[in-house]
Amino acid sequence: MDSFRRTLFRVMAVQVLTLLALWLLQARYAR
Amino acid sequence: MHPLNWAIVVAYLVYVVVDGVRRAKGTRGIEGYFLAGRNLPWWAVGLSVMATQLSAVTMIGTTGQGATDGMRFIQFYFGLPIAMVILGVTLVPFLHGARVFTAYEFLERRFDAKTRSLTSFLFLISRGMSCGTIIAAPAVIFSAIFGWDVVWSVALIGFPTVIYTMVGGVQAVTWADVKQMVLIVVALVAVVVVLLLRLPVSPDEALQVAGAAGRLRPFDFSFDLSQTYTFWSGIIGGTFLMLSYFGTDQSQVQRYLTARSVNEARSSLLMSAYWKIPLQALVLLVGVLVFVFYLFRAPPLLFNPAHQRQVEAAEPAAFAALNQRFTAALGEQQAAAHTVASLGGSDNEPTSRAADQALREREAQVTTVRNEALQLAARVTGQPARDVNYIIPRFVLDELPLGLAGLFIAGVMAAAMSSIAAELNSLSTATVIDFYRRWFRPQGTDAHYLAVSKLATGVWGIFACVIATYAVSLGSLIEVVNRFGSFFYGSILGVFLLAMIPRARPSGAFLGLVAGMAAVAAVTFGLPSVSFLWHNVVGALTVVLVGVAISLASPPGTHPAPGNP
Repeated sequence: MDSFRRTLFRVMAVQVLTLLALWLLQARYAR
Repeated sequence: MHPLNWAIVVAYLVYVVVDGVRRAKGTRGIEGYFLAGRNLPWWAVGLSVMATQLSAVTMIGTTGQGATDGMRFIQFYFGLPIAMVILGVTLVPFLHGARVFTAYEFLERRFDAKTRSLTSFLFLISRGMSCGTIIAAPAVIFSAIFGWDVVWSVALIGFPTVIYTMVGGVQAVTWADVKQMVLIVVALVAVVVVLLLRLPVSPDEALQVAGAAGRLRPFDFSFDLSQTYTFWSGIIGGTFLMLSYFGTDQSQVQRYLTARSVNEARSSLLMSAYWKIPLQALVLLVGVLVFVFYLFRAPPLLFNPAHQRQVEAAEPAAFAALNQRFTAALGEQQAAAHTVASLGGSDNEPTSRAADQALREREAQVTTVRNEALQLAARVTGQPARDVNYIIPRFVLDELPLGLAGLFIAGVMAAAMSSIAAELNSLSTATVIDFYRRWFRPQGTDAHYLAVSKLATGVWGIFACVIATYAVSLGSLIEVVNRFGSFFYGSILGVFLLAMIPRARPSGAFLGLVAGMAAVAAVTFGLPSVSFLWHNVVGALTVVLVGVAISLASPPGTHPAPGNP
C-alpha cells in the first residue's frame, strides 16, 4: 500500500502542477 | 501537395507496413499474436495506450476545436489521472493476474458465461462501428482536400493498417504505435514552432490576443449538467468515462495485458496519467495559435476546398459578394487584433477592455459572413457544412514549409492507424476468444486459432473499411449506434466494479447490467439536456446498486469471491 500512496502522491502532484500551469495561463491571459 | 511531402507520406506508409510484417516472425501461437507472450516493456505499452486513444479526430477535430472554442475541451481529461490510479490498484491486478485474453473472459470466471458474452457482444458492436468512423473521419477530409474519391482515401488509411495488424498481430500493433506516437508528437511540436516563428507578433502578444478573443479559458467551474465541458463534469464524469474506457474496453485492456508484469502494466497506464493533459493542451494550443495566425493573415472563406469549388461554380455571384464582405470584415478584425497586441496587457484598463470588446465584435462580424457562406455551401452541396475539421488541414497545406506538411499528414495517418490497428486487434481477440473458442470450437489447436485470428482481423478490417466508405450516407445509423454505445459504457464498468465486491452474485451482475443500460436510456430520452459525460456515472452506479441489492436478496451461494490474483 505504501508504494500505492507514493504513486498516488506523485500522480496527484503532477496533476496539480499541470492544472496550476493552466490556471496561470487563464489568470494571465483570459479576460 | 508538393512531391517531397508525398514522398514523406509514402515513406511512412511503406516503413510501417514493412516493419509490422517483419514483426510476424517473432509471433508464435495466439498468446503471441494477441498478447506478445505477455512480455512487452512498460514504456512501449504506455506509448501504445496513448497512441490508441489519440486518433485522427484529435489531430484534426480537436485542434479545430481549439481554434473555434479555445482550451475549454481540456477539462474532458481532468478525470484521467484519477482513473489511472484507481485502475492501477483495482482492475489491472485482477485482469493481469487472471491471465485472461479479454476483460470479458474475467467476467465469466467471476460471474457466468452470459454476462461475459453480453458484455463482449456489446463491445463488438460498438467498436466495430466506431472503427469505421475512425477511418472515415480523416478519409472524408483527405478526399475533400486532395479531390479523391472517398474509397481511395479509406483504402490509403485502411489497407496498410489491416495488412500489418493481420500479419504481425499485437507485436506489430504495439511497436508501430511507439513510432506513430513519436511521429505525432514531433509533428505537433513542429507546427507550434512554425506558428510561433510565422506570427507577426510575439508569443506573449499572440496569447494576449487569444485571451481577448476568449480562447484561453481552460476552466469553467459552473455546475451545469447541460454543459459538456466543465471542471466538475471532467473530474467526476470524466473519471467514470476513463475508468470505463481504460478498464473495460478491450481495445485498451489488451494493451496492458501485454505488459511483463502487473507493475509494468500499472506503469504503462501511469504514463497517460502524467502526459495526457499536457499533450492535449499542446493539441489545443495548436488550434488556438492557428486562430491567432488567421487573425493576421486572411483565411479562406470556406476551409473545405471541395465545398468552396462547388459553391464558386454553382453560385459565383453570391460567393463573390460574400467574399467581398468577408475581406472587409477581415480587415477590420486584423486592425482590432493589432490594437489588442500592441496594448499587450496594458495597465490602462478601460482602453484595453475597449480593444478586447472591439476584437470580439469584429470576430462576430467575420463569423456571421462565414456562417452565411456555410449555409450557402450546405444548400449547394446538399451536405451539412461544418468547417471546423478543415481549419488545420487547410492551414497545414497552405502555410507550412516544404516537408512539414508531409510530416503532419503522415502524423494524421499515424494517429488514425494506431487507433484502428488496436481496435482491429481487440475485435479479433474478442471474436475468437469470447465466441469462437468459447462456444463453437473449444478444443482446436493453437495453429488453428492463430489462422482464425488472422482471418477475423482481416474480416473486421474489411467491415470497418466498408462502414467508413458509406459513413456519410450511414451518418444517422452511426449516430444511433454511438448513442446505443453510450447506454452501456458506464454500465459495463458497473459490472467490473461489482466483480470486486465479494458478496456480488451472477444474477445481480446480469440484471444490474440490464438495469444500468435502462437507466442510461431513461436519462438520455427523459433528460436530454444532461450531458453525456454524466451518463457513465448513472450507468455504473445503477449497476452497482441494483447488482448488490439483487445479490443480497438471493440465497448465499458458493460462487468464489475474486481473491488476490
